[in-house]
Amino acid sequence: MTSPADHEELTRRAFLEKCAEAGAHTFLFGSLFVTTAMMRLPQEATSRTVGPRGGTAKEVIYGFVVDTTKCIGCGSCVRACKAENNVPDGYNRTWVEQYTFFPNGEVIVNSPNGGENGFEDDLPERNMPEEIGQLPVRGFFVPKLCNHCIDTPCIQVCPVGASYKTAEGVVLVDPQRCVGCGYCVQACPFGSRFLNPETNTADKCTWCYHRITKGLKPACVEYCPAKARIFGNVNDPYSEISQILATNRVQVLKSYLGTRPRTRYIGLDSEVI
Amino acid sequence: MRHAKHFVRLFALLAVVLIAFLAVRAQVVPKDFGTLGRFRASAIKEAAMREPRHLGNEACSDCHAKVNDAWAAGKHHTPQCENCHGPGLLHVKVMSEDSVAAYPDRIKAFPKALRPTTGTQECLWCHLKTFERPSALKSIKNVERHTIEKGGTFTAASKCTDCHNPHTTVVKQ
Ligand code: HEC
Ligand code: HEC
Ligand code: HEC
Ligand code: HEC
Repeated sequence: MTSPADHEELTRRAFLEKCAEAGAHTFLFGSLFVTTAMMRLPQEATSRTVGPRGGTAKEVIYGFVVDTTKCIGCGSCVRACKAENNVPDGYNRTWVEQYTFFPNGEVIVNSPNGGENGFEDDLPERNMPEEIGQLPVRGFFVPKLCNHCIDTPCIQVCPVGASYKTAEGVVLVDPQRCVGCGYCVQACPFGSRFLNPETNTADKCTWCYHRITKGLKPACVEYCPAKARIFGNVNDPYSEISQILATNRVQVLKSYLGTRPRTRYIGLDSEVI
Repeated sequence: MRHAKHFVRLFALLAVVLIAFLAVRAQVVPKDFGTLGRFRASAIKEAAMREPRHLGNEACSDCHAKVNDAWAAGKHHTPQCENCHGPGLLHVKVMSEDSVAAYPDRIKAFPKALRPTTGTQECLWCHLKTFERPSALKSIKNVERHTIEKGGTFTAASKCTDCHNPHTTVVKQ
C-alpha cells in the first residue's frame, strides 16, 4: 500500500518537468534515428533503375576526358554551355583557365569571364614585372567543369536531398527540392557549383543531361573545334572515350582529396589546381 | 488513479502532434522521394526532359542549303553553324512556325533570334594566336599586320569577312 506521501511527491510542476524531459529525449533520439535512417538511403540510383533510354542502368557509365594538350582556349565550350543551359552572366558551369609560366617559376592563372570571349594575346602586359622583364617560357589552357565525382562531397552535405547521382554517374541538382542553402557550393573542392541568382538554387554542370539522354553530346564537347573534350560511355570498350582512356596517361584534379572524379585530364601539370 | 486524467491529456496531445507531423510530412515529402535513393526519383526524368537549344548542322541544312553545301565542301567544317551563330532553337522555331508572338522579347533583341555576328570577333576566338595555344591551328598573330600583309587597308571597321568567306574561308577576289 502506498503512502499518501508518495503521491504528494509528484507535484504538478515536477510532473510537467518530467514530461518536458521525456519529450526532449524523445525528440533527440527520434531525430537521431530519423537522420541515420535518411543517411542509410543511397545517394546514387541503384542498378534497379531503368535509365530514361531504357535498359538497365549499369549498362551506361559516362566519363569525360579533357585533353589539355589540344585546347586552344577559344572559349567555344563556355559559350555553348552558357547558351545551352541559360547560365546567367558572371557564372559558369564550365570555364577555361590560362596558365602562363615564367622563368623564375612564377605562374599566372587567368580566366577572364571564364574564357567566354576567348583570350587576348596581351603578352606585353603579361610579361614579368618590369625589373625582371622576362617573357613566359611555357603555357597552356585547362578547361574545367564538374568532375562528377564518385565520392561526392557536395551530395553528402545536402540537407534536403536535392543533389543526387543518376545511375549513369551524373551528379545533378533537383531545382524543385533545392532550398539554396549553398552548402554544396562550399563543399565542392573544384568550385564547380554556384547559386544561380535567377532561380536561387544550386546550379552546376550536368554533362548536358538533357542532351546525352537523347543521344547527343554535351554542348561543350559538340562545339569544341580542337577535340579537346571527349565524352562517352566508359563501360563500352569500343567507345571513343574508352579507347582514349586505354591509350593515354590520364590524371584527375586534386586526387589527394579522394573524391574519385569521373572527369579525367590528359597533360595535366602539377601546378594545375 | 488520481493522475489518469493527466495521462489521457498528455497522450492525446502527443497523438495530435504525431498526426500533425505525419500530415505535414505527407504534404512536404514528395511521394517518390527515396524510391531510388535520397532524392526525388522523378527529378531524373525532369532533368532529361529539357529541350536542347543547339540543334546541330542538320537542322540548318534544309533552309540554308547553299551555305551548308559551301560549308561542307570547304575547308572550314570543324566550326559548325552554331559555333558562330549561337544556338538555333529559337531561330528555327521562329522561322518555321512564324510564331513571332510566342517569343516577343527575344525577337526584339535579336530579330532573327540568333547571336549577332561581327565577322571578326568569331574568327579571333579561334584564330588569334596566343602564347599558351598549341600551334596546330592556322592562326594569325596580329589583325592589323595580317590585313596589311594580305594587301588590305586596316581601319576600325575592317572585318575578317571583308576578305574571307566565313563559311569556306575562301578569300574574295
Ligand atoms: C525553317 C527554315 C530555317 C531553318 C531550319 C534555319 N533557318 Fe536560318 N534563316 C531562315 C530564314 C527564313 C531567314 C531569314 C532570311 C532573311 O531574313 O533574309 C534566316 C536567316 C538566317 C541567318 C541570317 C541572319 C541575319 O541576321 O541576317 C543566319 C545566320 C541563319 N539563318 C542561320 C541559321 C542556322 C545556324 C540554322 C541552324 C540552326 C538555321 N539558320 C536554320 C530560315 C531557317
Ligand atoms: C566561322 C563562323 C561561321 C560558321 C561556322 C558559320 N557561319 Fe554563317 N555566317 C558567319 C558570319 C561572320 C556571317 C556574316 C557574313 C557577313 O557579314 O558577310 C554569316 C552569315 C550567314 C548567313 C547570312 C548571310 C549569307 O551568307 O547567306 C547565313 C544564312 C548563314 N551564315 C548560315 C550558316 C550556316 C547554315 C552555317 C552552317 C553550315 C554557318 N552559317 C556556319 C559565320 C559563320
Ligand atoms: C570555332 C573555331 C573557329 C572559328 C570561330 C573560326 N575558325 Fe577558321 N578554322 C578553324 C579550324 C579548326 C580550322 C582548320 C580547318 C578545319 O579543320 O576546319 C580553320 C581554318 C581556317 C582557315 C584556313 C583554311 C585552310 O586554308 O586550311 C582560315 C583562313 C580560317 N579558318 C578563317 C576563319 C575566319 C575568317 C573566321 C571568322 C569568320 C574563322 N576562321 C572562324 C576554327 C575556327
Ligand atoms: C585583306 C584581306 C584579308 C583580311 C581582312 C583578312 N585576311 Fe586572312 N588571309 C587573307 C589572305 C589573302 C590569306 C592567304 C589565303 C591563302 O593562302 O589561302 C589569308 C590567310 C588567313 C589564314 C590562314 C593563315 C595560314 O597560316 O595559312 C587565317 C587563319 C586567316 N587568314 C585569318 C584571318 C582572320 C581571323 C582575319 C580577321 C581578323 C583575317 N584573316 C582577315 C586575307 C585577309
